[in-house]
Amino acid sequence: MQRAPSLHFLVHPTALSILRSDLPKVSADVAEQAANFTVRRIRTLPSHMRIGVTMIAAAVRLIGGISPEQFVVRISHTHLPLISEYFRLIRSLSYAFIWETWPDTRHDGSTSDGSHL
Amino acid sequence: MNPTQPTQFWTEADSSSSCDVLVIGSGAGGAPTAALLAEAGFDVIVVEEGKWVEQGSVAPFSLEQMDQQYRSGGVTVALGLPSIAYTEGRCAGGGTEVNSGLYRRPPGEVIERWRDRWQINELDPDSLLSIATEVEQAIHVTPLPGPASKPSELLRRGAESLGWQFDESPRWMKYPNNDVRQGQRQSMTRTYLPRAAQSGARILTNCRVNKLHMKNTSATSAEVTLGTGKTARISFKYVFVCGGAIQTPAILQRSGLHKNIGNSLAVHPTVKLAARFSEAINIPDDVPVHQVKEFAPDLSFGGSASHAGLMALALLDQWSQFGSAIEQWRNMAIYYAAITSVGRGRVISVPGLKDPIVTYRLTRRDRELLRSGLSRLSLLMLEAGATEVFPSFRDAPIVRGRNDLTQLQNSFNAMKASVMSVHLCSTVAMGENRALCGADSFGKIHDTHNVYVNDASLLPDAPGVNPQASVMAIAIRNIRHFISHEKRNV
Ligand SMILES: Cc1cc2nc3c(=O)[nH]c(=O)nc-3n(C[C@H](O)[C@H](O)[C@H](O)COP(=O)(O)OP(=O)(O)OC[C@H]3O[C@@H](n4cnc5c(N)ncnc54)[C@H](O)[C@@H]3O)c2cc1C
Repeated sequence: MQRAPSLHFLVHPTALSILRSDLPKVSADVAEQAANFTVRRIRTLPSHMRIGVTMIAAAVRLIGGISPEQFVVRISHTHLPLISEYFRLIRSLSYAFIWETWPDTRHDGSTSDGSHL
Repeated sequence: MNPTQPTQFWTEADSSSSCDVLVIGSGAGGAPTAALLAEAGFDVIVVEEGKWVEQGSVAPFSLEQMDQQYRSGGVTVALGLPSIAYTEGRCAGGGTEVNSGLYRRPPGEVIERWRDRWQINELDPDSLLSIATEVEQAIHVTPLPGPASKPSELLRRGAESLGWQFDESPRWMKYPNNDVRQGQRQSMTRTYLPRAAQSGARILTNCRVNKLHMKNTSATSAEVTLGTGKTARISFKYVFVCGGAIQTPAILQRSGLHKNIGNSLAVHPTVKLAARFSEAINIPDDVPVHQVKEFAPDLSFGGSASHAGLMALALLDQWSQFGSAIEQWRNMAIYYAAITSVGRGRVISVPGLKDPIVTYRLTRRDRELLRSGLSRLSLLMLEAGATEVFPSFRDAPIVRGRNDLTQLQNSFNAMKASVMSVHLCSTVAMGENRALCGADSFGKIHDTHNVYVNDASLLPDAPGVNPQASVMAIAIRNIRHFISHEKRNV
């Protein structure tokens, strides 16, 4: 039962940082829902993938040190195998969630009427 | 009893049960296996890991469907350079509940190749194709009763303009009132599983087989985990493992069976693009029925589900350049180029891990085919009238005219692309060629007495066409052979 909260601790802030950087006008609420969805989905990955993701997520959090947000944004565009796949996984899950739930979201995360409500 | 519902014969108090034949998995291989056995008078239990989801209760191609009917929410990857994302159905009916329903008979030359190279006894194209005819009736394979959707017509238009071969793939669908938008997929929960239940088969959903207990060369029982987490045991005289091309070898390996099991995974890898047109064309909940076959069997083109969530995924690899196109998703559709790969992969069950590790290695020829496939598909879309084409790989250019195709070819690298596959097979090839085959000519695992495989794992290599018809025809052939030989023993 320890694993679930730790995965949330490791992945959720990273997902939020990526979303805020990629989609600068995304509302806090939408970003929060998308990050929660991403963590939920990562929990259901096949066991070896989940272990791999947990290790990479932990390394990213550790190396990010005191300014994790800036670090995540910089490294999230890396092309290094495995690490790039981790960020791609986060982007895939959260983008799919946002545009499936709110199909008229603009590419910067805003909506035509200025909100997702 | 409603014949479309599983018989809930198992109560929590039960810790064991028994039958003549245990069928593991209820997809394209398992459901006909169970139906024909039950109809022949065998006492059958079907164990299915996923749940029974009534068709129409979840939106097709949605994240909710992924949650409910796919393994691991649809996020599964074969590791490699590049890794290949794949998906497996996990629900009553398996892949047949979630797939696109596009029907293709196994090509005669493929059947002959399988027979000759893998040394499959009594595999004759004519008799397999006559079984395919029966399948077509049983699952109601039919062309559209009216005009195809816009994304489908665009494929046709592009192919016609280039003089390329194309056709409409029929589907296993019923169309009430001949309405093309009301198609009801004739999947296993609508066809063979009710038939199995009507003939007395007991269908247990939400129940996973962990492994078979072997005694010398025979399996005696299966250890299962029920939805509640409780483990139980089912004993049997015969077992048919029909868990699909990834799970079947994993179950066999966990049971101590390894010879030629899981080391020859074959898939149809695909690369994709999003094409933008000047008018609204998107159909969020269906796929095109046209396929372009000019370069088949090496290369085929078709269309994918294209709702806004999937469109965002198709644009993701170049979001900074492509992202703004998402605002036009109603004018866009996603198309794919699928190749018949000669690379192979492995399924490796690791003690202590619930899920197997899957790997796949594309060959140089495969990578080149993906490159030329994406380029030709872009050309096809331009000819269909696309104003912009967004290929799904990192550093891809936006293709607006033929001149951009050279840049696309030069910048493509399979390592940068999102390669995926939904057609998985060949992990327990059938035949008498002991160097290649894990099972005999009718699916019995070599050197065992009562362990059979009867699903996509048996196809010796990738058929080069949508595989469900091949899986079903082979499964029915094998089960008839089994019934004719074993009926007197039970
Ligand atoms: C998204 C998608 C689209 C597709 N489109 C097409 C198409 O248009 N045309 C076509 O011809 N083919 C298509 N296919 C492929 C086709 O669905 C498969 O080839 C076919 O379903 C394979 O049949 P199978 O019996 O081998 O496996 P499946 O149909 O996958 O059935 C295996 C079943 O076994 C169960 N199982 C696995 N392990 C266990 C266990 N340990 N215990 C209990 N149960 C277990 C699974 O939950 C699953 O329900 C598509 C597949 C997908 C995923």
